[in-house]
Amino acid sequence: MSYLITDKCIGCTLCAKNCPVGAITGEVKSLHQIDPEYCVDCGLCGKLCPKEAILDDEGAQTHKIPKDQWEKPIIDVTRCVGCSLCVENCPQYCIEIQGPAFKGDINTVAAMTDSSKCISCKICMKVCPIGAVSF
Amino acid sequence: MATKYGGYMGRVCMVDLSTGKVCDYPWSDEERRLFIGGKTMAAKILGDNITKDTKPLSEENMLVITTGPFTGTGTPSSSRFNISTLSPQTGIITSSNCGGNFGYYLKKAGFDALIIKGKAKAPLWLEIHNNSFKFHDARELWGMNTGKTQEVLDEVIKTGNGKTRKNGKIVIGPAGENMVRYASIVSNERLAGRGGTGAVMGYKNLKAVTVSGNHEIQVHDRKKLDKLNKSWFKYLKSHPLTGDQLPRLGTAGLVSTMQMRGQLSTKNYNYGQYDDFEKVNGELLAEEFNIVNKGCLSCPIKCARTVEVNGKAVKGPELETLGLLGGGILNSDMYSILKWNYELDELGMDSISAASTLAYAMEANEKGLWDNGLAFGQTDEISQVFDDIAHRRGIGDELANGSKWLSEKYGGKEFAIHSKGLELAAYEPRRSVGLGLGYAVSNRGGCHLNGGYMVLLEGLSLNVDQQNPHGKPDFTVMFQDLMEAVSSCGQCLFTTYAFFPAPLISHPNSWYTKAFCKSVPYLGPVLRMLNTFPQVACIHIPVLFNQSIALHHITGMPVTFGSFFKAGKRGYTLERHINTRFGISRKDDSLPSRLTDEPQIKGDEKTKVPLEPMKSVYYAARGWTSDGIPKPKTLRKLNLDGLASYEDTCKRFAEEKEGE
Repeated sequence: MSYLITDKCIGCTLCAKNCPVGAITGEVKSLHQIDPEYCVDCGLCGKLCPKEAILDDEGAQTHKIPKDQWEKPIIDVTRCVGCSLCVENCPQYCIEIQGPAFKGDINTVAAMTDSSKCISCKICMKVCPIGAVSF
Repeated sequence: MATKYGGYMGRVCMVDLSTGKVCDYPWSDEERRLFIGGKTMAAKILGDNITKDTKPLSEENMLVITTGPFTGTGTPSSSRFNISTLSPQTGIITSSNCGGNFGYYLKKAGFDALIIKGKAKAPLWLEIHNNSFKFHDARELWGMNTGKTQEVLDEVIKTGNGKTRKNGKIVIGPAGENMVRYASIVSNERLAGRGGTGAVMGYKNLKAVTVSGNHEIQVHDRKKLDKLNKSWFKYLKSHPLTGDQLPRLGTAGLVSTMQMRGQLSTKNYNYGQYDDFEKVNGELLAEEFNIVNKGCLSCPIKCARTVEVNGKAVKGPELETLGLLGGGILNSDMYSILKWNYELDELGMDSISAASTLAYAMEANEKGLWDNGLAFGQTDEISQVFDDIAHRRGIGDELANGSKWLSEKYGGKEFAIHSKGLELAAYEPRRSVGLGLGYAVSNRGGCHLNGGYMVLLEGLSLNVDQQNPHGKPDFTVMFQDLMEAVSSCGQCLFTTYAFFPAPLISHPNSWYTKAFCKSVPYLGPVLRMLNTFPQVACIHIPVLFNQSIALHHITGMPVTFGSFFKAGKRGYTLERHINTRFGISRKDDSLPSRLTDEPQIKGDEKTKVPLEPMKSVYYAARGWTSDGIPKPKTLRKLNLDGLASYEDTCKRFAEEKEGE
C-alpha cells in the first residue's frame, strides 16, 4: 500500500521536495501525486503537508507535526546485534553500524549518525527483528 | 498474494534474454511445501527444464536465482540467496549461495525467484523495479571490475530526487565475461563463488542485474516469530562458535585448529601441516590486519573480515582462501593473500578453484609435466597470473579451465585435487575421512558444505576419531540433508553450528563431550533409522534447531523437525536424481588417488580416505542403488517420482556398462 494525496492539495511542493525516495511529482499549484511503485510509507509527506491532504497506507488521515516534535529512535545497545536491517532500510541514510569501540571489539551496534536527517518514519523499529529500536 | 503461505511473495518471474520477454513462471503452493525455496526450489525448476543434452554454455541453460521463505523476514542470518545452473566447470547442476543483498531486494520487488534463460545479442544489464523490467546497454560496463561496476550502477539507479535508490545487485567481472570456468557472481562484497555461475552469466551477455522494490514481506505469525527471533539471536550470540569464535577470528580462525589436526592442505595436498602457518592464520589476521568484523544483512554472527589493501578497506579472506593461497602454494605472506583475495573478488573469480588450479599447475611444473613457469613459494607474479586467467591470456587461458581439464591434458590426475571437476576446499580429507566421503559424494562436486561438513566433528569443534570411518556415512547423510533444508529456507549454514550444545564445545575434556565423541562410530544404526524414516521425528528441537519452528511461524505450513529433515532429503536426492541424467554414478563420486591411496603420514595406512567402503554404506543410508542412483522407492517416498524417468537413467547405465 502507498500513501495518497487528496484533492485538498494546493501544490506547495513541500512533500515533493522532501520525499526521501522521490516518489512525489507535481507542478506548483497543481495536485501532486505519489507513485505507489516507489512510496516506502515513511510518512514524511503527511507530517509536512500544511493542508493535511495526505492519507496514510491504511487510508487514515495524517496530521501535520512540527519538526521539533518528531520522535527519534532510541537504539538499545545492550540488545542490538548489529544485523544492519535498520541501516539497509533507513530511507534517510541516517543510521550506520558503528566502528569497533576498541581494537578487537566484536559487538558492533547500530547508531544514529545524524539525527537532524531523521524523519521519524519508524521503519527502523518495524524492521528490527529483536525489538532493539523504540520511539 | 498468489500463495496461501506467508514468507513468500508468491511470484516467480522468467526473463528470456534472446527475445526480451518476461513472464511469470508457474510455481504452486504444493511445490512451495515440498521444495521450500533456495537451492531445492532451483533444482526442481532446473530439473523440469533441462535435459541430458543441455550444455552449460548454451541458450537453453538457465540461471535460477532463488530466495527462501526466511529471506527478509528478520530471522538471523537470513539474507542469503541461491544461484543454481548447469555448471561449466562440472557439467552438472551446481548451486552457489551468496550473502549479498540481491535476494532481499528481489523479495522487496515482489518475487521469490528470478529465472534467466536465452542469450542477449549484445552485452546488457537488467534493471528490475517491482514489475518493471528495463534492459540497458552494457557495452560501457563490459570489461569493468565488479566493484567499479557496482559503483557505476549506483550512479545510474536514481530516485526522482537524484539520490541512489536502495537496490540489490548481481554483477560479473572480466572472469565471467571471458567465461573462466570458475567465474563467480558478485553481490556487494559477497560472492556466489563456486561452480562457475559467473561464466554462465557471461555467456548470456548479461553484465548485471539490479533489483529494487517496495513490497512488504508478510509472515504467517509475526508475534510468535518475533518472540522466537529474540531468543534465537540471543542464543547465537551466546554460543561459543557463533557468538565468539566466528565473530572474533572469522572462518580464518580454523587455520590453527586444522594445523593441529593435520588437516591444513599444504603444497597442493602433499602434507597436512604447514610450518609457517602462524604467518597466515586467523589469529594474526584478527590482531594485525582486521579493521572490523562485518556480516551479511540480518546476521548477528558477522564472520566477515575487513582489511586494508592499497589504502582501501576491503573484504578479508575466508579460511579456504587463506589455506589454499597460504600453505597450499607455500606462501607465508599474509598481505599478499589479502591483496589476491581482493583482486579475485574484483575479477569475479572463485578463490578456491583459482588457488587449487594454481597449486596443480605448480606441481605439474615441478614434476616436469607442464612447463609453465609457476613454482611453489614463488609468489611475485601471482597477481598477474590471476589477471591473465580472468582475461584468458597466455597460460591463463588454460588455467581458466580448472584443474580437471588441465590434468586431462597434461597428466597428473592423482594430484589434480577436485571431485567431479570442482576443486576441494582447504580441509585435508585424509585426516578427516568423513569429510573425504562428503567431498566425493557432494552433488556439486568437491564441496565441504554440500558434503556434510563432517570436519566440524572431526577436529574443528569436537574430537571424534578422524580416521575411523564407522558411523560417518550416516552422519554425513543427516548433516547434508539438514544443511540442504536450512539452505533452502534462505538461511546461512553457520546458524547450524549452534546445533551442538555449547557445553560440548566449551568443555572438550568433560566426560560428556568425550562420551559423545567416543559414541559417534556406534551411532550409525540409530541415525539410519532417522535417515530412513525422518517423519517419525514429529517434534521440534527448540533452541538447538529453531529452523523448523521458524518455518512454521513464517509460512504457516505444518512443519516438524522430521518433515523439515525430509524436505532436505528431498532436495538432496532431487539434485542427485537430476545429475544422474548427465551420467553421474558411483564412478564419479571419487577423489584423486593422492587422497585415497597415498597415506598422509608415511607408514600410517590409516591416514588416507577409505572411500569405497564408506560410499557403499552411504548409498544404502540414502536408499540409492550400489551404483549410487536413487531407487524408485526412494524417489516415491520423497514425492519425486513424477520427475524424469528413472528407467531411462538405469537403461543408459546398463548400456554404458555393456559398452565398457
